[in-house]
Amino acid sequence: MKERLRVLASPIAAALASIGIAVGVLLALGHAPLGALEALVRGAGGSPAAWTGTLQKSTPLLLTGLAVALSFRCGVWNIGAEGQLYAGALAATFVATRWLPADGGAWLVAPVLVAGALGGAGFGALAGWLRAARGVSEVISTILLNFVAIQLVAYAIQGPLQEAPRAYPQSDPLPHGAMLPALDRLHLGVPLALIAALVVAFLIDRTAVGFRLRAVGHAPEAARFAGLSPERLGTLALALAGGLAGLAGAVELAGMTGRLYEGLSPGPGYTAIAVALLARLAPLAVIPSALFFGALANGALAMQREAAIPSVATQVVQGIVILLSVGFALGRLSLARERVPSEGEA
Amino acid sequence: MAPGEIHALLGENGAGKSTLMNVLIGLVRPDTGSLCVAGAEVVPGPWSPRAALRSGVAMVHQHSTLVPAMSVPENLCFGAATAPVWFRPARERERVERLAGSFGLDVPVDARVEDLSVGQRQRAEILRALDRGARVLVLDEPTAALTAAETRALFPALARLRDRGVALLFISHKLDEIREIADRVTVLRRGRVEATVSARETSATELGRLMLGHEIPPLARAARVAIEGRPPALALRDLEAPGSREAGRLRGLRLEIFAGEIVGVAGIDGNGQRELEEVLAGVREPVAGEIEVDGRRVRPGVRSLRAAGVAHVSGERERGGLVPGMSVAENLAVKSSYDGGRLFARGLYRRPAARENAIEAIRRFGIDPPDPDRDVATLSGGNAQKVAVARELASGARVLVAVNPTRGLDVGSARFVHEQILALRDAGGAVLLVSTELDEVLALADRVVAMVRGRFFDVARDTDTARLGAILLGETSVGDAA
Amino acid sequence: MDALLEAALRLATPLLFAALGELLVERSGVVNIGIEGLMLTGAFAAFAVAVTTASPGLGVAAGVSASVALGMVFAWFVVLRSADQIVVGTAVNLLALGATGLALRSLFPGGIPAAPVVGPLEIPGLASLPVVGTALFGATPFVPTSLAATLCVALFLARTRAGLRWRAVGEVARAADAEGVRVAAVRIGAIAVGAAFAGIAGAMLPLAQSNTFSEGMTAGRGFIALAIVIFGRWNAIGCAAAALFFGATTALQFRLQARGLAVPYPLALALPYVLTLAVLAIATGRARAPRDLGRPYRREAH
Repeated sequence: MKERLRVLASPIAAALASIGIAVGVLLALGHAPLGALEALVRGAGGSPAAWTGTLQKSTPLLLTGLAVALSFRCGVWNIGAEGQLYAGALAATFVATRWLPADGGAWLVAPVLVAGALGGAGFGALAGWLRAARGVSEVISTILLNFVAIQLVAYAIQGPLQEAPRAYPQSDPLPHGAMLPALDRLHLGVPLALIAALVVAFLIDRTAVGFRLRAVGHAPEAARFAGLSPERLGTLALALAGGLAGLAGAVELAGMTGRLYEGLSPGPGYTAIAVALLARLAPLAVIPSALFFGALANGALAMQREAAIPSVATQVVQGIVILLSVGFALGRLSLARERVPSEGEA
Repeated sequence: MAPGEIHALLGENGAGKSTLMNVLIGLVRPDTGSLCVAGAEVVPGPWSPRAALRSGVAMVHQHSTLVPAMSVPENLCFGAATAPVWFRPARERERVERLAGSFGLDVPVDARVEDLSVGQRQRAEILRALDRGARVLVLDEPTAALTAAETRALFPALARLRDRGVALLFISHKLDEIREIADRVTVLRRGRVEATVSARETSATELGRLMLGHEIPPLARAARVAIEGRPPALALRDLEAPGSREAGRLRGLRLEIFAGEIVGVAGIDGNGQRELEEVLAGVREPVAGEIEVDGRRVRPGVRSLRAAGVAHVSGERERGGLVPGMSVAENLAVKSSYDGGRLFARGLYRRPAARENAIEAIRRFGIDPPDPDRDVATLSGGNAQKVAVARELASGARVLVAVNPTRGLDVGSARFVHEQILALRDAGGAVLLVSTELDEVLALADRVVAMVRGRFFDVARDTDTARLGAILLGETSVGDAA
Repeated sequence: MDALLEAALRLATPLLFAALGELLVERSGVVNIGIEGLMLTGAFAAFAVAVTTASPGLGVAAGVSASVALGMVFAWFVVLRSADQIVVGTAVNLLALGATGLALRSLFPGGIPAAPVVGPLEIPGLASLPVVGTALFGATPFVPTSLAATLCVALFLARTRAGLRWRAVGEVARAADAEGVRVAAVRIGAIAVGAAFAGIAGAMLPLAQSNTFSEGMTAGRGFIALAIVIFGRWNAIGCAAAALFFGATTALQFRLQARGLAVPYPLALALPYVLTLAVLAIATGRARAPRDLGRPYRREAH
């Protein structure tokens, strides 16, 4: 019981401490933090509309946070959730605006979401292939692929996928049927992301594949001697993570924006890492963690409006959350990692 | 210990030799007690590797602690407090050569340490210690990895050091060597000093008794029950595989093991044992030759070998496929995660079934603590090995590949593993026992081959240990390739 | 041709400084993917101080100090707390992105001013050297400094006792410890020096390339520097060659762009990253990383 309390208490402490430090930073920069905090809290949950906004902002964070949690649990350092999100959004846009009929019914949602997931999965698998076949560290490749994805999106919306009037760098709007049904601005992506969390939790803990992925995540060489392939499973983990992040892109597209344009991502890909680490890489705990960061992002908009504090301040909070999550015994994570010794090293 | 003395430290694995050494060289701080070097009490006090070096205590490790990517002069300089700020290769090379010459130690000065032989590395380590002005030299099983010729060359060098007033602490479990080189012997058992006696005037049996403490009853051995007229349970046919080092390359291994026998592969580390293990575990692809089980060819690979009924137990947790961070139950299940079995069904991991399976294995093999959810990383070596053995034997394997299966285990656990191996043999299984512990091979195997430089050599039944030692060291040209 | 060489060198220089910094850190056994954030911090501090004091020299000093300060945060977590290097590096990047963005908007609410530029070294005669004169000494002093720094780093690692220790810690930390080398101190020192190099690399961006600061202006150069270290096989001269290769490719691409080659602009912007990936796919595996790279060191008896 005591252990359970500690497990629960440390992420909360980390979250609160990081906000405290951020307040200090704001003070140092000459802002009045109390009014800002108030605006933040009100903007995040002070009204039904604020709650809706928080849930909207939490949804992509939940999906990308799951992507990171899943890959980190499998010993793969996927820093590329942002790029995978863009790849998913790009694929979804392509399918929705180029393949699907403009006057189709609500069934159009399905191919759009599938395209998003597949696009992201393909992008993740690319990093997986570079890792398995060419020995390229996924840390660097996924980071670089983030930049590639951003430029690919920029290219698409100025070129092949640009809207018909060619006035702005954005895609055509999605067909009406491809948009996620919404209830009072809360689109279907919100429950979908929650279901995704359950599915990932089930996958990791209860399935044979999840079992193998965990084994490789704990100790790749031992797993190799036990008959598992760290390369293949690592690629699978990256593809699955990419699929989740790509789904986030499609959900954002079909639930919120309706068009593809630059800046679709809810923040740099690192945000997802903060989400996953605060949740200590447990899929179900990613739900409250994403909610926290979603509230922070939503509240920060109000803070910017009302207290003129740039919303990038939230990134400072995210950075501190990561540091506190991995750096202190209180909330210390042991990220199992074991370097695979190269041939002939002995 | 006196200056100019060679003092031997004798003790079983786990008797406390390594801990004592780590204390001496400052890696471990003692909880209580004192330590004096050259009359000055250094512990209690600030004790660290730095402090140890300053007071003249240096260690020559069994596994080289030189930096492999650097040359000998570079290795000598980086830790030396007296080394000049600028490293001038030509000058340092010359200095090292002079130093080596003065102690009669032959060490190459240009090559990277990773390209040196074991003996050369060891001499480089000794040289480094002397360069630091060591007055107390701790030698950790210095002859373990040496050829006979290298050992013969080492002893006079040690004697020269002794004559120059260096105190040498010689850690070994080879009685004959201790009696040859040491002046006095201290025997450790379970973290206590059992006795300190004169090396030459104490009999080997007396030392053995001090070391082991009690007599270990010999294992009950059943008669060999090999069945003739059937294909070998395991056959290696001209197996060739690349090695991580040249000496480890497998060069056409041929061997047949029949049901009901244990074939022991004796050899010194680095002669292809790791590569052979990897091939038979399925993680190293042979470039030529075949593996047959019960007369049928088996595709190399962990899964196909397992499907063919080959089990594998290793002295290293990682190579034994034990996954730290996962529980006992999960480790017992890890291999059935791909070939089905009752722990997995329709793509799902059946946690309750896996726990029950673990509880059963814990009971049968006496795994302690009896907790199926415990992380194997927190188990003692012996209990972790029991988990590995339980998993491998649970699949009903008829062929067992055991590689250094008792390395690092306490006596009781080692005995348990030996019993399991013998029980499998007696039940009609075939065992390939690869071990660098000659005693282990001789005690268990029905037939012995020697592994030298990636080749097998037959060892005749009446070969005495001295001759076998010579074969293992590759010193004499004996026998034909098996 | 002269102009192309000059552009190549100018574009290569921040990459080279960052790569040299990362090289020093990695030779001590630490991977710092926070180098991107350190560069960005250096860039912002250099920009802010140079604008307010109108002194580019002070700006560079501020860039280096700020980068080192953030580097020490990284060091504290990674060396003293043994936290995972990749994760902490990521946090450093996030912190730097957030803090510089926040500070930019807080300190310059009225718009982003232009930065004073670090002028060329006025050493008579050097700039008129044939072929390389203008390219090396004509524009910014960062270029010749980076080449000098390359030689210094190479010499330091190969020819000084401190360099030997540094490498020993990166290769086999345990062995270095047993030899009395203070592993933690060496690594913290390495991170500090590496951060200083990253700070110079960052300072160069507003003070010698774009004359202003924009959010996230490092645009992945720190990550490309990580790749350059691998491509350069963990040695200084190799890093210089790799950085020059990247600089030349980028310069050539700008040249072709200016000639109206029909490559869409965003794709041209993606080119350095794609190129880096391609280079990594070819170069990884052939180079040998320091053996203890990425492993936290804790002293213990096994």
